[in-house]
Amino acid sequence: MFSALIQNLIGVLPSMCAGILATFAVTLIFKTSYTTNFAQGVISALGAYVAVDLAMTHGLPLWGVSVIGVVVAFVVGVLIDVCIFRRGRNVNTLGKQIISMGLISLIIGIIPFLFTIAKAEAMPVQPIIPLTEGFKMGEVNVPYNTLLGVGITVVLMVVLFVALQKSKWGLAVRATASNETVAGMMGVNTKIITALSWGIAGALGAVAAIIYVGNVSLSSGYVMTSTQINAFLAGILGGFATFYGPVLGAVIIYLLNWIVGYICSLEGVGLTTWKSAIVYVIVMILVLIKPQGLFGKKMVKKV
Amino acid sequence: MTKSLNLTKTFMEQKQKDERALRSIRLLDKLRKRPVLGFAVFALILVVVKLMADAGAVNAGLINAIGSTIIYCIVGLGFCLLLGYSALASLGTAGFIAIGCYSTYYCIAEWGLTIGVSLLMSVGLAIVIGIAVGYISLRIEGIYLAIVTLGVAQIIKEALSAIMDTIKINKYKLTFMNIDGLLIDPDAMFYILVAVLFILMLLTSNLMNSPTGRAMLAMKNSTSAAQAFGISLMKYRLMAFVLSTIYAAIAGMLFMLYVGYVSNSSSTLFSLSTSLNILGAVIIGGTKSIWGTLGGTFIIYGINSMFLQDIAFFRDNPTLITIVCGLLVVLVVMFFPGGLVQLVWTLILKIKGLFKKWRVRRYGLEE
Repeated sequence: MFSALIQNLIGVLPSMCAGILATFAVTLIFKTSYTTNFAQGVISALGAYVAVDLAMTHGLPLWGVSVIGVVVAFVVGVLIDVCIFRRGRNVNTLGKQIISMGLISLIIGIIPFLFTIAKAEAMPVQPIIPLTEGFKMGEVNVPYNTLLGVGITVVLMVVLFVALQKSKWGLAVRATASNETVAGMMGVNTKIITALSWGIAGALGAVAAIIYVGNVSLSSGYVMTSTQINAFLAGILGGFATFYGPVLGAVIIYLLNWIVGYICSLEGVGLTTWKSAIVYVIVMILVLIKPQGLFGKKMVKKV
Repeated sequence: MTKSLNLTKTFMEQKQKDERALRSIRLLDKLRKRPVLGFAVFALILVVVKLMADAGAVNAGLINAIGSTIIYCIVGLGFCLLLGYSALASLGTAGFIAIGCYSTYYCIAEWGLTIGVSLLMSVGLAIVIGIAVGYISLRIEGIYLAIVTLGVAQIIKEALSAIMDTIKINKYKLTFMNIDGLLIDPDAMFYILVAVLFILMLLTSNLMNSPTGRAMLAMKNSTSAAQAFGISLMKYRLMAFVLSTIYAAIAGMLFMLYVGYVSNSSSTLFSLSTSLNILGAVIIGGTKSIWGTLGGTFIIYGINSMFLQDIAFFRDNPTLITIVCGLLVVLVVMFFPGGLVQLVWTLILKIKGLFKKWRVRRYGLEE
């Protein structure tokens, strides 16, 4: 029974890694542009499509196409900020939200035109990291694939959080996040910081998508939707006030997923259908108790 | 002498003719003030088209397309209240359509209840879920509503697809049904659709011009100013959101009654893309206007299902309309926030101005 629990945890890990990366990306954009970027999921799916398409049609090595996919997502992110969000400075928060929703339709529509694999109905897609075999730890099977995903995520998170605290870039991001106008007056080039945030968010999303798609398959442009929903929920649960709050929120949500999923799948319970609904309700109750998030503080808005 | 008299006479006649032309433009103003006339004319036109189709003058496929567009129009009207009047965006529209659809199916086909009861059930369910979701998210901030509804829609969709897997799909079929002693077939259903659309248009327009609508509008323009006037943000935001969920549930119910079945393929109706398309339709048409919403829905859904399906190029590339929708949403929000309706009104104002100028040049200034 205990080994089954651990095995379930290992099954959840890849989506947890993807969720953590996506959450950080969403938080970065929320802090620097003050909008919820709903297109995050499709931008990362676009990166994954580039990688999988190159790997399947040209037979390039997988690490190579992964890098290309991440770079493409970075460029797309920067372009979206430079072409759309920078020009739409007078657009209010709701307008920005709606623009990002419009971008979902736009990118979802473009994907079948760009990639031949997206046109075929049920194309079998290989995992991008083809290490299906793993090693045994007692009764628990640990795939190398999962280990690689966890490794990448941990390294990226450590690098990003250290950079946020110690580097000049991190200082600039935190300054922009706290007040864009004042940061600009203090000599921070907020335009470049915002564009970079969009790029980094796109790249992180692509990494998340490649880790995630390795375990499920790349069925459509909406493949990252559930990860993105969890990322947003994590933002609310942890509170968007800090950078670490949403990431911890993501960890909590995926751990809840693991435990609730395990309990639901037990014999005699039979609630597997309602697994995500139960997790969602738990998160909502937590948010109801702490509206500013578990790690958040009240953001004071001046009129 | 007679010649000049004649000239004056023709001049007067000409002037009367011009006055008549001006009156037809003024009629548009009147329509604006008394919207019920316009709605009635619109409903009548739809009925006439249906009668023409019965007579064989119009393609029957067109009627089907119009029917489904009407259903989307109803969803759009609710969304218009939410987006245009209280500046909130929701991504859960598809989920609430699904609730209306499946609760109708269960009430009528499984439990054998009447249509009135099933209407109450769907709307009641939508209200309960809407209040729960709206209360939690709107307590924090307006922009969180979209996030939370996105999650709700996804859960509803997952749960429904799981239920559909366990029960056989072809069971989800209502061919003919006996509703309160009335045998309703698709032909009669079309008239019901038109009637519901007419009633909801009227209700929406009255709501927009009522104190509630004005309170919502004040809240949209400045939350702080609205609060200073004693408008409760939570109350009106929640009201707008719940109203939009009710509209979506009614539309879902009508979909079930009109189309008669839900299959796995029509489960795309309940996916995120429907919510996005409805949002796109309302934005493109003009967020604060009923006619704008109808126009936007026509652009997104109507044109595609009525005309473009006959062209092979569009049939082979179904995502083309998605691209157009996304692009238009981005462009309209950035450069032309009023949408299609504003474009039309600007044009009308311009034509009016030109007409006035022309009259002044011809007859001189009026005293």
